[in-house]
Amino acid sequence: MAEATLRTVPLDKARVLQWLQTYGVYAGVAALLVVNTVITPHFLSAENFRTQAVQVAPVIIVALGMALVIGTEGVDLSVGAVMALAASVTALYLGYGLLPALLVVALFAAAVGLANGALVALVGVQPIVATLALMVGGRGLALVLLPQLEDLRNPSLASLGSGDVLGIPYLILIAAVLAVLVAFVVRRTTFGRQLLAIGDSRPAAQLAGLPVRRVLIIVYVVCALLAAVAGVLATARLQASDPTSLGNLMELSAITAVVVGGTPLTGGRVNIAGTVAGAVLIQLLTATLIKHDLPPSWTQIAQAIVIVAAVYAARGRGKR
Amino acid sequence: MQRTTHRPRLLTRPGVVALAAAVALTAGACAKSEDDASKDTQSPAAAGAEQKVVTPKPGSKTCAIDAYGAEKLDLKNATVGFSQSEKEANPFRIAETRSIRDEAKKRGVKLLTANAQSQFSKQISDVQDLLAKGADLLVIAPLNSDGWDPVLQAAAAKKVPIVTIDRKINATACKDYVSFIASDFVEQGRRAADQMIEATGGKGEVAILLGSAGNNVTTERTKGFKERIAEKAPELKVVFEQTGDFAREKGQQVTEQLIQSKPGIKGIYAENDEMGLGAVAALKGAGKKAGDVKIVTVDGTRNAVQGIVDGWISGVIESNPRFGPLAFQTLETFTKGEEVPQDVIIQDSAYAADNAKSEISKAY
Repeated sequence: MAEATLRTVPLDKARVLQWLQTYGVYAGVAALLVVNTVITPHFLSAENFRTQAVQVAPVIIVALGMALVIGTEGVDLSVGAVMALAASVTALYLGYGLLPALLVVALFAAAVGLANGALVALVGVQPIVATLALMVGGRGLALVLLPQLEDLRNPSLASLGSGDVLGIPYLILIAAVLAVLVAFVVRRTTFGRQLLAIGDSRPAAQLAGLPVRRVLIIVYVVCALLAAVAGVLATARLQASDPTSLGNLMELSAITAVVVGGTPLTGGRVNIAGTVAGAVLIQLLTATLIKHDLPPSWTQIAQAIVIVAAVYAARGRGKR
Repeated sequence: MQRTTHRPRLLTRPGVVALAAAVALTAGACAKSEDDASKDTQSPAAAGAEQKVVTPKPGSKTCAIDAYGAEKLDLKNATVGFSQSEKEANPFRIAETRSIRDEAKKRGVKLLTANAQSQFSKQISDVQDLLAKGADLLVIAPLNSDGWDPVLQAAAAKKVPIVTIDRKINATACKDYVSFIASDFVEQGRRAADQMIEATGGKGEVAILLGSAGNNVTTERTKGFKERIAEKAPELKVVFEQTGDFAREKGQQVTEQLIQSKPGIKGIYAENDEMGLGAVAALKGAGKKAGDVKIVTVDGTRNAVQGIVDGWISGVIESNPRFGPLAFQTLETFTKGEEVPQDVIIQDSAYAADNAKSEISKAY
């Protein structure tokens, strides 16, 4: 009996791990939805789902860019700083109107992305180091531009943050459209395939004549632009620009969403649906613990467990 | 906004002897100096906003120059070094640094300043730099309570008296440093509880938006609030305690979760103004009306006091950052050879519906 179990375990385990990596995040989301429906008062309400979706939207948007970068076997630690920078620049240029402000935000974000991409693709700096520099420098710049929180009273910005179309908030719509767009790029375009090929093996991609540098630079620019979108939306929702704390630890939330969603850190594969589900999973987990007034430290521990589980499942897949 | 620790640990209830009177005397001039400051900043005149000291307790410890081992000097001819802990990115730090600068200017004292940008190692080297540049006296807003030995030794070697503001250092008063000036955070919590009891009628369920974890400001503001609730209004129940990390966005997000899972919540105690303003944003977003949920906060920033005027916030307990007059007065008294208290506790004021409009100019 015992021997039989021993023999069958490895096979079953591999299968379970593979299933977990592909569908675990959805199972986790489903489980949290069911559990909350049972134990959390007022969970099954439109307002509650709206709140969770609105809160998670910026995380999803940042995670989309992060997924692309991780798909190239990179990582971008500067996304939180870019959010702060977007908040500062929005506050500074809002006087000229929302659209001009957004254009300047896009310029700043593109510059950060360009710097990241150039360091990684042209200079050959490790992504974690290159983006660490911009993470520190970006927030520094954000605070130089706007040293303290500033309330924003701009009607267009306010409606961007709290308005809706047919009851669906702009934040959720924007996140959904961007997710579909990024998924399309990854799956259906040459650029997407090039990105994955680079993540799989950069030397091979180079030998195959792919435009490695260009693709890498574009990926980092896109990641920074997405982070800037998230920064503007979070600022719009808060109706205040807070470069001191906006986007703090966002890089970690985004990486968590990507990894939990089944995208391996080793590159070559990007799971956009899983990334979205990963962000939703963490959001629901946090919401559950907050709603039941459990100590904040539990949230961090619970997140850690989810991350370890996800990485463990990924490890099983790698060995397959 | 005040994310990191910037407030002191209060170990003892202090007492004050000569200071209260001295400060009262300088009050008028002080207001004038802040008038001047307002010309190049957004902050208007803050008349009456200067720090006052709580009534001294008999038998509280004092410090004199002989016991400390420094030499008498005339403050007017002295150079004062000021080491700030965090960058001036929140209203508290901005007002604190401005107050020190203004007071030095008013008294015609030469001031050297440094900002540690929230890095403790930088603060240590900042203070050593200030000593090397010839500071005769030091005012320090410490980032940490521990780890000051190298600085204290260097200062002692040069016989430079030190006054710490807003956070205490773990060292011996009147030996390693002269005095420590700060608010009483437990008392701030108690007074916030009083306001909450009044706003809610002392019945129902309330929530606490905690500050950053592991921060003594958080611990003490929570302790005072809960103590007073338990003692005065046992029918008021604290049913929710989650951290908002002293940040507006986090306060907003946590409050959104709160009002959906506990729609019957009567009040929210936010341990700083920023989280309270985040709670206001959440309530507005959920379609609540001003006053539906009573909010009490601590700090006394202009935005929060404006929140009282607008009806969204019920009360704000002040944490007064204007350390300049008291710090310089302490140094002057001390260097003249008179005794100064070792612990100087500030009397913070409070804002509610009855005085918010008339006293908003005092807010920072």
